[in-house]
Amino acid sequence: MVDMLFTAVTMLIMIPVALFAGILYVFLFRKLSARFQWRVGPVVSMYKDLAPLLGASRILQPLYDILKLFGKDTPVPDISRKTIFIASPYLAFICAFLAIFFIPFPGVPLLSTMEESLVIASYLLIGAVMFTILGAASSGSPWGAIGARRDIEIFLIYELGFVVALFSVGLVAGSLSLWEIATRPGLPMLILNPFAAVLLFLVIIGKLAIKPLDMAEAEAEIVAGPFTEYGGKYLGLFQLAKAFLFYDMVALFIALFLAPTLNSILWLPVYIIAVVVILFFITVMQVLHPRFQIAKAMSWYGRWVLVFGVLTAMMVLVLRFYWVV
Amino acid sequence: MGIMDKARIYSPWLYHLHCGGCNGCDIETLAALDPRWDPERFGIQLVASPRHADILIATGCVPKQFIPMVKRVYEQVPEPKVVVAIGGCACGGSLFYNEDPDNYAILGSPDLLIPVDVYVPGCAPKPEAIINGIVQGILKLAAKKKAAAPTQKS
Ligand code: SF4
Repeated sequence: MVDMLFTAVTMLIMIPVALFAGILYVFLFRKLSARFQWRVGPVVSMYKDLAPLLGASRILQPLYDILKLFGKDTPVPDISRKTIFIASPYLAFICAFLAIFFIPFPGVPLLSTMEESLVIASYLLIGAVMFTILGAASSGSPWGAIGARRDIEIFLIYELGFVVALFSVGLVAGSLSLWEIATRPGLPMLILNPFAAVLLFLVIIGKLAIKPLDMAEAEAEIVAGPFTEYGGKYLGLFQLAKAFLFYDMVALFIALFLAPTLNSILWLPVYIIAVVVILFFITVMQVLHPRFQIAKAMSWYGRWVLVFGVLTAMMVLVLRFYWVV
Repeated sequence: MGIMDKARIYSPWLYHLHCGGCNGCDIETLAALDPRWDPERFGIQLVASPRHADILIATGCVPKQFIPMVKRVYEQVPEPKVVVAIGGCACGGSLFYNEDPDNYAILGSPDLLIPVDVYVPGCAPKPEAIINGIVQGILKLAAKKKAAAPTQKS
């Protein structure tokens, strides 16, 4: 009983924590890519003379974007399939949002102690992307349809990598509970099976539509891809889902590969450092690459996911039969 | 000022509508959004779909063939919205506009079709002037409340 109460309270606390973490991750991503491009990016402390009008800081810039979108009119195109069109942003948001409860935070297991939390989290993370595609396909806009098709092509590749990366870790740890995997004694999985870590990193790039794999959203090329017809609060929901997805993916990476970091809340500084390092690598990917052509992306992405997938599987065989067990 | 009103000022998204004209203003508009001025410092972003925008930036004078598109793009921008006309063409038709005899191809400035809130004259205006125009647009946006009209169809 006390256990359940504790879980419920931590879950309630986790909602704002995850929201602000997601917002800060998006901010950090934008700020870092701005610095890489010799820009300033969203200002951390506003110029003195502008502060009364423009606010003291823009660290919460992604939150302002979302709030503004919620305050706007929401157009629904007549030619769309309205039920799916309207339901998709909510479902995408709910999937990304629920996933935060199945991924542990330092010292806080939440629902990740459940036996199949790894499987549940992976399904929720698949859902978050799938409903984005569904919404785009139902919007009745040719740009939405092209965006959805491109999204599906990339989706097929990274989901393969996602499953291999997740279950390789599960196999070596001998458990499907994220909490058990995260608090497993011994070397962190990053050292035991670095190929799986690279594989999951590649998956994160695809799932968050980071360049070079952002051809689905291809701004200005196919208008705004899946989001072309979305405006107002539905776009706000998608942006919110994206912020949660950012948090989910980074937290999942840490839970799977940097084992001792989640043992207790005292590891929080290490957790934060790990987050910054992961975001740094994501940003480097974003700024180093142009957008790939769809066919090029398929062969490039497919090749690396396949190579690392096979290496991961071989590593699992070695670890499972000659190392830990 | 509530957080929603603040958010509206803090994150103005622009949609760039090229109505006609010689492209000079478009080059300057994009120059105003480049790393040298970096409006992302203040949350200003160029978006690709009019449905995401708060501020519509219109450049050039409208050819007659383009009239329906200008109207449609304006209607697709959700309320509250502001239109900023950039360049001599967009402010009054400039050298392309002819009243009598009527120019066979060019209608004139976009304010003949859609309500324009801010005018930025110049041929082409400097990026500083464009940014100033956008700031005026943000101030007008701050004054507008969320439209009472329910979901807008198109
Ligand atoms: S105002 Fe001048 S620079 Fe701008 S579109 Fe017209 S002619 Fe070209």
